[in-house]
Amino acid sequence: MDFYYGLAQIIGIHTLLGLSAYIVLLTGQVTMAQAAFFAIGAYAAGMLTVLAGWHLVPALGVSAILGSITAAAVGFPALRVKGLMLVVATLAFGEGVRLFFFNFDYQVAKGEVKVGPLGGEGFRQIRFFPENGWTTGEVMLFIWIFAIAALALLWWFDRSRYGAVLRAVGEDELAAQSVGINLTAVKVSAFSVGGAIAGIGGGLYAHYTTHIEHANFNVLVATFAIAYPIVGGLSSVFGTVLAVIFVQGFLIEGLRFLGDWRNLLFGALIVLAMNVRPSGFFGKRRA
Amino acid sequence: MLDFIQATSDGVLFGATYALIGIGFTLVFGVMHKLNLAYGAASIGAAYAGLLILGAFWAEAPAWIVFLGAFLAGGLIGWLVYVTCFHFIPSASALATLMATVGMLLLIDEIVVHATDGLPLNYPALFSDVMLHLGDYYLRGDLLLVFTLSVLCMVGLLALLYRTRLGLATRAVAQQPIAAQLCGIRVARVNAMTFVITGLLGGLAGAMIGASVGALSPLLTTPLTIKGLIVTVIGGLGSIPGAIVAGLLVGGFESVFQQFRGVTERDLYVMLLLFVFLFFRPGGIFAAKGGRD
Amino acid sequence: MKKIALAVSAAFAACALGAAPALAQEKTITIAGFGAKTGPVRSFGVNSEAAMLAAADVINKSGGVKLADGSKAKIAIQFYDDRCTAEEGISVARRIYGTEALVAVGPTCSNVAEPLFGVLQKKVGDSSDSGLQMPIFTDVAVKVGLAKISEWAFRNVPNEMTMYSSLFYWLRTKHPELKTVYGGVEEDFAHSRASWHAIMKDRAQANNFQVVGESKWLLADTNFATQAREMKKANPDIVAIAAHPVSMCGALKEMARQGVKPKVLVGLTSSSSLETLKGCAKQAQGMIIPTSFAPVTKEGKFAAETTAKFKGAADLHSMAAWENVFILKDVMEAEKISGDKSKVAEDRRKVRDGLAKLRETKGLLGVTKRTEDREADKPYLFVTAKGNNWVVLHNPLQ
Repeated sequence: MDFYYGLAQIIGIHTLLGLSAYIVLLTGQVTMAQAAFFAIGAYAAGMLTVLAGWHLVPALGVSAILGSITAAAVGFPALRVKGLMLVVATLAFGEGVRLFFFNFDYQVAKGEVKVGPLGGEGFRQIRFFPENGWTTGEVMLFIWIFAIAALALLWWFDRSRYGAVLRAVGEDELAAQSVGINLTAVKVSAFSVGGAIAGIGGGLYAHYTTHIEHANFNVLVATFAIAYPIVGGLSSVFGTVLAVIFVQGFLIEGLRFLGDWRNLLFGALIVLAMNVRPSGFFGKRRA
Repeated sequence: MLDFIQATSDGVLFGATYALIGIGFTLVFGVMHKLNLAYGAASIGAAYAGLLILGAFWAEAPAWIVFLGAFLAGGLIGWLVYVTCFHFIPSASALATLMATVGMLLLIDEIVVHATDGLPLNYPALFSDVMLHLGDYYLRGDLLLVFTLSVLCMVGLLALLYRTRLGLATRAVAQQPIAAQLCGIRVARVNAMTFVITGLLGGLAGAMIGASVGALSPLLTTPLTIKGLIVTVIGGLGSIPGAIVAGLLVGGFESVFQQFRGVTERDLYVMLLLFVFLFFRPGGIFAAKGGRD
Repeated sequence: MKKIALAVSAAFAACALGAAPALAQEKTITIAGFGAKTGPVRSFGVNSEAAMLAAADVINKSGGVKLADGSKAKIAIQFYDDRCTAEEGISVARRIYGTEALVAVGPTCSNVAEPLFGVLQKKVGDSSDSGLQMPIFTDVAVKVGLAKISEWAFRNVPNEMTMYSSLFYWLRTKHPELKTVYGGVEEDFAHSRASWHAIMKDRAQANNFQVVGESKWLLADTNFATQAREMKKANPDIVAIAAHPVSMCGALKEMARQGVKPKVLVGLTSSSSLETLKGCAKQAQGMIIPTSFAPVTKEGKFAAETTAKFKGAADLHSMAAWENVFILKDVMEAEKISGDKSKVAEDRRKVRDGLAKLRETKGLLGVTKRTEDREADKPYLFVTAKGNNWVVLHNPLQ
């Protein structure tokens, strides 16, 4: 049972990652920077619970705020960069953040042991959950409270004017501008919301693995972040959840019985999925 | 001062390989307005394919034949990437092709790891022990060869694009695909040929990188892809001369950054370099003239 | 027609599910293994799995493990791929926890071991700690000082501090004319980074060598010109490289090109493998590496041959996995495990306690001592690259 709880935890965390990219993709911006906000949230939450003794919930709040501020800071210059150049720019930003953490040392002595991030060696012993006796089931529920909150928020956006505005910008910027939509506000706000969600996801991730290092926030993670909404389809938030379940539950865990072939099938199935359903599982929105 | 010049010359020679990869990205973007993220993996994969297939028949093949093998394998793999990621997916679905190329990148990487158990393979090199000394400076013989071959390739490509009918058709499709179709140009065929040509170039790039390192390893893929993308953007998406200059530039800067700030901060500065360009010259060094996206 | 076909196939499926348990006549004990079977370190996982399968095969052929009730059970090995990532490592450990495996041997990568040990219960019997309660017996992940993270974590990996201490001491006595040491280190890989900064540098200085500098590079780097130039300027007597074969070979080749010729080359334990010789045998000639395995004893040769039958190579890492399976068999018999599928938690606790009690184990090079903080003190030798092989240069324990 523990294994399934653990799997649900991973799915929850990845759902947050995917949703953070979903909202940005709605506005037509392909972002490879979500892993960076994920990283910032992870290190921030970890440092607050380990070095400053905070409870996890306010620490996650800080992660969300930091993630959202950084994302807004990225969102503004991102306005100048069009289309696929944004992919490369955000990729470079993501790598920049990763490299920052590769060089980041902040250790504090706790008793005879030094704790805190140590550059290339990473940040170890983030043991809020086990130290406070949380069971795997309880952690799973905790993570899913946030995942469901994010899902609900984005689902609500989709049904409200804000969602329509986001999609309008994604469909045709010129037309959107001509009806008076403020492109800057829309694009930057989308980035901010995405950044906040990614920050929370990262904070939860750090406490799930108990040890984080720069390599946990690399290009592959950034790619997974946008893969979920693309494979799931941009018409509905549930597409993203389904895609996460498909990738983490089916491709990574479910196919274990295939042994070595599992990894080969991973790439092949993604190629196949994109050819068979280019608009993702849930396809394109109809009007 | 000596260090600075030496570091620059080392870096610029290495940068020729980045230029080749950059050209591949930029050409596909210019013609199809899509990014082929599998390109770096395909190039290294081609070098592997050439080496392994040749190794099965001819144990101690001379270096230039191995390079040729990589070159040809690259063309084939390029075509395969086209068929699996670009041919069937509607051109309006840019995200789907992006994801499909990511899938191909993962697939190619895995195939390589499975075929070799992740172990590095020795790759033949020409002149790897040759060092040309100019006073206190030195130039690596094999890197000079890489540089020369890369330059020849680029010249060949430019000749292809500006002096042949295929090149004309390619440029037509890049500028105005619908008008090109109306003139009777078979767009699908041109697209496929673009991939084959960039694949050939990529295969050569893979071979040159293998030769300059002395070994092929699956670890080469990701950094190469990232650098290739950076080079493409700095050079200007769609501009071949831009990719060439940017490749050499990035190679040189990277080496200098490492000389003065060490290896852990080096890549951070390369990213900053990209951002500086994006801020001051978002179109790249040779911004593509007008037109689409 | 369709409904009937559906019903029939459902019935067949139910049968298949039902039939399975009835066939299990033989008693089995499951030992799980996990490691990297993907990516650049795939060969480690492949070799560990082969070694475990080979060891289990030998044990099973001579009857199996003796249970508390006197009957014998065969050992079954289940190997999982953790892709050298912390996330999957933890997922795999949780998955193994949900099976009847009594203990897990692994992981390959130190960056997986550290977080994984962090997820285990820290102190045995601490009911306020909800960490996993399953013993992990590591074969490969060698970064210094990890087993003390949890009382359920045990390692059978060489103690690099001891080995390099001995190596630099030997170099000091054998070559009194050598004075300076220069380091080359792979900064972005947990193991190699710690090995230079915390171990090699420290031990060299402790043995009165002067460390005149260090050059850093990254695992995937291809251009080592700057680093080789720095080395040339320092002109050291000894160059110690804490890096895995790929980048080490790149660095060695560049050093050769630029004419950096130290009198002695020292390498990282993990690099005393075929990979290095395949990549740069010429440039690595004479490199000295301390290792906890070489096929010099009868048992060692047998282990290497048997593992080769399961398509694995024998090196200090895979042979630790081999040793682990035999150690676990002895512990299981000494602690009288029940082998009962309903008593898995108790059996796991017994295995853990048995491992904790051990003061020494049988190794392929000789007797291995076990320390208070659940690490191993393995016998070791110094090997050197000669031609296309690693040959024993010196046995410091004789």
